[in-house]
Amino acid sequence: MTFRQFAYRNVVRNRRIYAAFFMASMFSVMVFFMYSMLLFHPKIEDEFLREFAVSGMIVAEIILYIFTLFFLFYSMSAFLQARSKEFGLLLQLGMEKKQLNRLIFLETMLIGAVSVATGIFFGYAFSKFFFMIVRELLQLDSLPLYVSLKPFALTIGAFFSLFIIIAMTSVVFIREQKIIGLIRGYWKTNELQSYSTLKAYLGIGMLLFAYGAAAFTSMNVVLALAIVLPPVALIGTYFFFTHSVLFLLNQIKRRKSLYWHRYRLIAISEVAVKLRENARMYFIVTIVSTVAFLSVGTLTSLSSYTGQFRELNPLSLIYSSEMTNPFESEHMALLRNELEEQGVSYTLVPFLIKKQTSSFSQNSVDILRESDVNSLAVALGLPLLNLEAGEGRFIPYSEESINSLTNRQIQTVLEESNVPIHIRSVYPRMLFPSMVIGSNIIVVSDEDYRLIDEPISGEPINSSYKFFAFHVEDWERTKSIGLAIDSQVSDAIYKGGFTNLPFYFENPGFKYSIIRGTFSLLLFTGLMVAAVLLLAAGSFVYFKLYTGLERDKRQFEVLKRMGLTDKELIKIVNRQLVPQFFLPWGIAMLHSAFSFLSLQVIWRNLAAVSILSEMILVLVVFTCIQIAYYFLIRWRYIAHVRSS
Amino acid sequence: MYEGKVTHRAINQLSFEIEKGEFVAVMGPSGSGKTTLLNLVSTIDSATSGTITIDGLRPEEMTKDELALFRRRQLGFVFQDFNLLQMLTVEENLVLPLTLDGHPIEEMKRRIKDLAKKLDLEQILDKRPNEISGGQAQRTAIGRALIHQPSFILADEPTGNLDSKTSRDVLELLGRVNQEQKTTILMVTHDPIAASYCDRVVFIKDGEFFNEIYSDDRRQTFFQRILNVLSLLGGNVHDLSTIRLS
Repeated sequence: MTFRQFAYRNVVRNRRIYAAFFMASMFSVMVFFMYSMLLFHPKIEDEFLREFAVSGMIVAEIILYIFTLFFLFYSMSAFLQARSKEFGLLLQLGMEKKQLNRLIFLETMLIGAVSVATGIFFGYAFSKFFFMIVRELLQLDSLPLYVSLKPFALTIGAFFSLFIIIAMTSVVFIREQKIIGLIRGYWKTNELQSYSTLKAYLGIGMLLFAYGAAAFTSMNVVLALAIVLPPVALIGTYFFFTHSVLFLLNQIKRRKSLYWHRYRLIAISEVAVKLRENARMYFIVTIVSTVAFLSVGTLTSLSSYTGQFRELNPLSLIYSSEMTNPFESEHMALLRNELEEQGVSYTLVPFLIKKQTSSFSQNSVDILRESDVNSLAVALGLPLLNLEAGEGRFIPYSEESINSLTNRQIQTVLEESNVPIHIRSVYPRMLFPSMVIGSNIIVVSDEDYRLIDEPISGEPINSSYKFFAFHVEDWERTKSIGLAIDSQVSDAIYKGGFTNLPFYFENPGFKYSIIRGTFSLLLFTGLMVAAVLLLAAGSFVYFKLYTGLERDKRQFEVLKRMGLTDKELIKIVNRQLVPQFFLPWGIAMLHSAFSFLSLQVIWRNLAAVSILSEMILVLVVFTCIQIAYYFLIRWRYIAHVRSS
Repeated sequence: MYEGKVTHRAINQLSFEIEKGEFVAVMGPSGSGKTTLLNLVSTIDSATSGTITIDGLRPEEMTKDELALFRRRQLGFVFQDFNLLQMLTVEENLVLPLTLDGHPIEEMKRRIKDLAKKLDLEQILDKRPNEISGGQAQRTAIGRALIHQPSFILADEPTGNLDSKTSRDVLELLGRVNQEQKTTILMVTHDPIAASYCDRVVFIKDGEFFNEIYSDDRRQTFFQRILNVLSLLGGNVHDLSTIRLS
């Protein structure tokens, strides 16, 4: 048996433990590879999303890389620690440290090579599927699979360097221990009652403080808190797992009536050992899960913003034109043609908007006709107006204006034509994009509208203007309509304001498709990264369970001999596994829930968007995944401890 | 890996009885079926044919849960490597069988107090198994086997990991338990000194009954007779201790 064979056999025979390690690194390689496939995609080159997609991918790749490095380092050292007895024995039998280092190095590189190879294999296999999803999200015409060396080179280079770093550093970890320390192994190095009551209270206190501050935050302090709270919560979490948990368990242990109760004695003491031994791991899992929850939640709330964008912009296309606009007929013909060419059916509602000076504010007011508004409302399926003569309504220019104008009543006279109007309340829904209309816009009854015949003073005679509102049922189909007009408007805005253009054009469908595309890509990328994080977090737990499996198996054997029934065994296993799975998860949930309370404050101010329902959805989905994972592991674990 | 077992008759045509309150040792060379016998009596293994009757009960006729309850109440176990639960203190290890059976706290405390005094464990009740000596660990294990006052104690090489002085203490303790509480004890051992503390020694070879001898009040001569049978039994010489009786 050569030395290399020895290393190979070590890996193969420890495959049960190496499996989790391998799965997580393979999955990470796979996702990394798919991202690099997208990163180097030749088709994306000319698309407007290129910059965004590329930078998104680069950020995701960096996060993946750093995280995988961290994950592998931690798993590797835990794994080597579990095998320390074996290494101690090898050293005692006369193996040189140099040889041992080489053995570990070879084993690590073997795992690394296999996971890079399989990861790339599956990554390439799933690339087509991945591209299909991305194509859907970005609504590209095609995003074909391509062959290039670049993504392969990037992935192989990145992960080989990563595994070399891991192999080198884990060798250092073993080198620093004495043979005797390695041989003594498990219990000798595990002191049990080592928590400090002060730190235990500190941990709980810091968490409570962070939660309280996050829950009762307001816009004024939220930014300051955003800087202060994460470190407080981080340290609090650390103390919580390393001290508070043990402290609390010890409190239970002191109460014999609770503790000395059937299988609780075993379950609680076993949980105490596991939690103490893996405190740092649970801390990491908690933080990783929190980050994953938060990023997914934030991204979903971005998507909910996309949904609300649609509600705020019910029109598909809108063209406004001044009386002096020489391009009007040309542009309208263009838009109609384009719509017909694409086979998009539409409803066109033209508005003639009159201007008058309001006696109430001495400002100019834009006036719509009730029947025009109603034709648009019919097309959009919105509530209809029924105005008396002399009555008027505000037209909202933003979501907030609906609230602020609902109870507003103004008695005014349209001065030039001398028409008295009693403006009561506001039309309850957004009709026009806020860029298109001013903030002083009202709708009046057809009778009053007809009475307005004098032009507004101080402005050119033809101061009225027109709106052409297009409604298209299938909103996003307008994304390629009127791009030529749109670019004229953008140019004008770029050159210093569109006010000197005689027309204005907006295509919310087009804007929507950009926003939706970018946000969904962000969300998708974030979900994939979060999936890697959660898989890794889960495999930490799995991994730790397996390294302790032999000991647990032996313990259950003794207990069974002493008369533990199968049912009791399963109960003990439940009580032992539940905290290991759900304590870090529960804390992560709490962390995310309270973080979202503060985020909600920011969002409400920024975009008037509520993220509550999205957040609940995210947390529920993660909970389901976690529960499924728990049952899977429990099933395997019980099968293993029983098989004696 | 290396799964699957070669079928092998570990025990064949073996038949003997143990009286209530008797202290019996089973001896035999490695591979003679001692451990299999113990597992059968422990009700954690079942024979392909033949029967075992303990106190009128037939384990093969009981369900798994009934067996567990039977072991929990009627049997006490002492192992070669103590098998104390490492995460529990000495006190918690002692009380374990009682908690499994749901005894009241006050009773548990009382019995711990009694046993700890009897077994000289009072000083180390709060220590963990990795902090105490082998003798203390085995006394704890014996305490754990006794605390629920079982009618039958099964001991598997209880002195196998102990030095001779500690072995003697442990055996005297078992003898005393047998005398004072009339507890039946079945002990599997390699060690003729350990066996010489018993009322009777049953020898088995290749899974079959070989011989049995009864103690005659003098341990020294009983020990000699055990050695004589062992030399007849043959087997591996290195199995036999060369310790001289002091």
